[in-house]
Amino acid sequence: MKVDVSKLKGFVGEENVLTDALDLYIYGTDASVHESLASAVVAPTSYEQVQQVVRYANAELIPIVPRGSGSGMSGQAVPIKGGIIIDLKRLNRILEIKPEDMLCRVEAGVVDDDLNRAVKPFGLFYPPAPASSRVATIGGEIANNASGVRSVKYGATRDSVLGMKVVLANGELVTLGSNTRVEASGYQVDRLMVGSEGTLGVIVEATMLLKSLPKFRCLGRVCFNKLSDAGECISDVIASGRQPSMLELMDNIAITAVNTTLDMGLPDVEAIIMFEADGMVKEAVDFEIEEMKKICEKHNGFDIQTSYDLKERTKLFAGRKKLFAALSRYKDGLACTSLADDMAVPYSKMAVLADKIHEIAKKNNVVMTAYGHCGSGCMHTKILMDPTRKEQWNDARNAVKEVYDFVYSVGGTTSAEHGIGISKAPSWKQEKKDSLDLLRKIKKALDPNNIMNPGKLQDAPDDWVTATPLRYSAH
Amino acid sequence: MAKAFERIKKWENELNICIRCGYCYENCHLVKLNNWESNSPRGKISLLYGLLSGRLKPSQQIAEKLFECFYCKNCSKNCSAKVSVTDIFTAAREDLVEHGFSAEGVTAKVDQDFCSTCGICVSVCKAEAITIDREKKQITLDKVKCQGCGSCIAACPSGIVSQKHGYGITPSELSDQIDGILENSADGKPSVIVFLCNWQVHPGLHMSKMGELIEQKDLPYGIIVNVCAGRIGIDLVLQALDRGAWGVMVAACPFDECEHDGNYKIKARIHMLKNMMQQIGINPQRVKLDYFARTDGAKFLKSVNSFMDEINPMGPIKEAVQTIEAS
Repeated sequence: MKVDVSKLKGFVGEENVLTDALDLYIYGTDASVHESLASAVVAPTSYEQVQQVVRYANAELIPIVPRGSGSGMSGQAVPIKGGIIIDLKRLNRILEIKPEDMLCRVEAGVVDDDLNRAVKPFGLFYPPAPASSRVATIGGEIANNASGVRSVKYGATRDSVLGMKVVLANGELVTLGSNTRVEASGYQVDRLMVGSEGTLGVIVEATMLLKSLPKFRCLGRVCFNKLSDAGECISDVIASGRQPSMLELMDNIAITAVNTTLDMGLPDVEAIIMFEADGMVKEAVDFEIEEMKKICEKHNGFDIQTSYDLKERTKLFAGRKKLFAALSRYKDGLACTSLADDMAVPYSKMAVLADKIHEIAKKNNVVMTAYGHCGSGCMHTKILMDPTRKEQWNDARNAVKEVYDFVYSVGGTTSAEHGIGISKAPSWKQEKKDSLDLLRKIKKALDPNNIMNPGKLQDAPDDWVTATPLRYSAH
Repeated sequence: MAKAFERIKKWENELNICIRCGYCYENCHLVKLNNWESNSPRGKISLLYGLLSGRLKPSQQIAEKLFECFYCKNCSKNCSAKVSVTDIFTAAREDLVEHGFSAEGVTAKVDQDFCSTCGICVSVCKAEAITIDREKKQITLDKVKCQGCGSCIAACPSGIVSQKHGYGITPSELSDQIDGILENSADGKPSVIVFLCNWQVHPGLHMSKMGELIEQKDLPYGIIVNVCAGRIGIDLVLQALDRGAWGVMVAACPFDECEHDGNYKIKARIHMLKNMMQQIGINPQRVKLDYFARTDGAKFLKSVNSFMDEINPMGPIKEAVQTIEAS
């Protein structure tokens, strides 16, 4: 596999190609623990340029790795088989905002927050809201099927995708989906692209659904002395038909992390739930909040605070918002790694999963926390470990396996929103073991030469620890 | 890894705290300019990991990357994990220089052949990067300390201080941007140049709900994002007025909040310029200097709008001069 750089420069212009060893080293990383080197990075400025690069790569059997902002936490954009990285950030135009149709059409490299800033004057918002929305691109969010704190009400990225333009592995540009809220029969290939992590094609444009900004938003916070009470409360809120716009859990480790590192002054209890309702009619929001308060009290929740005021809400939510970063400073010498960090389980299993995470962490000499968008079934955790000690990576490997063994035993799934990439692929392959053959056939049909982000998902290595060099100096 | 890299090694724990969220490049001037992630603070941190792990060997190229930073510290301010990003870069620079790898990057360069060693550059450099070697009668610049603010470039009376890489903010690049804005301004409409500092008010506006207001394409003023108000020389303001700008506004950081004292320097220059304008019969109100903190987005918009209200009745500057001459 030899990349002809002069050809790439001919396709996208000399100023849009990087081949310097250091540039490639940097582009060989993302927000995950993995690193691997590509042969070149190209930053096309048109769909035609993407097509030219992909056609060339397909003819020469060179891997292609599409990349947005590199905020993926599982190694989705790490070029595990080398090849050409297509940096899509220069395709960053908002092509259309149509308030009358409640949709927008954007190029793949548009940043989520930039889109939200653009649609806000129309009284609209783009709902998925992953925590990385400040840098994450729409194309990356689609390829990863991202979601976030409000997905409990507004769904994941897949629920906002109406259509898209994709450059397939043979260089063909196809239009998938529609401009309408509903579309009936026929292969829903646009849906197939959602969450495909760049393994089926390069998403270059998307038509996305927008929602009206709610006029009223009320946030509540409730404390629990038992983590399992909080878990059961979450399950009950959803099962009782309530419609929270946010339903978040924080365990005691998470509370301690934000209190010690950010001096947040959160109550030192076993668990906190944050619940929110929003809507156009205040009485309806009041009703939802009151009903959720009753459920919290039923599950021994106490010290309930609620507020409509933006400043108050920001204060109440600050601890949760800054949690990931706070965890990285939980204890000197421990790094906060994104491993086994976003499993989803049925609501009724949330409480038992939270307890199990702590049990597994203790057994394997690592620190793990249980928090997340539990209202949408997503449990976040991080593995806090000393990355400079090789044995800790074995501990992490064992903890990841045990967590996922448990998740599958209760009917859960590997990743709710951060994607599979490299680090979650071994577990995901275990979860999907009876459909791996089908997945490989689909991949083969769309990408017969296996050039699109090869070595990921069903084709990823079986051991994530040795799959690539890891970012920390112990490896 | 060579012993000389012990300074970076001391920061290893802090490097491990970085969660690679990428917020550090949201307001990075280098990334904003060319959208390459390999110019980002996160990218530089990756290189330091490479040095620590031994996967990268120290090289001139690594030095080039590390010396390309304006120390605006938007990376550190934006960092969700509060990593002292630029302090780590300084440690890396020291190690690289000690190891024999130095690079110009965005640091200043003095043309010794034409330097009179007047020492003005020494007095304006708050980073204390410039000293005079009295014996050799030449200026010495500490590349590790130099933060590329450009104050010395704007202050040098001989115009012999320069930067190899300015990322859009060397005097000649700023000059080109002024011309570009004025060439594209429609006839009869007010054309005003606004210099925004990338330390405080510009990233603040970008991060606030007012970001979209400064990104509109049909604004009656053209915004030039600058790294420090201290690098705006009188020549640039005069150039804008000479090429047809109705007015020029400079947005600097509040007093005592500029790490280069660029606000004090620009204050003195603008004061002098206004006196000159008064003497030659040009309304000094055509030039405005104001000070904004990161969270002063509303204050900025109010200030720039009131400036436009003052400028509009004045009309183009050449018409005003002709009127004066005729009378």
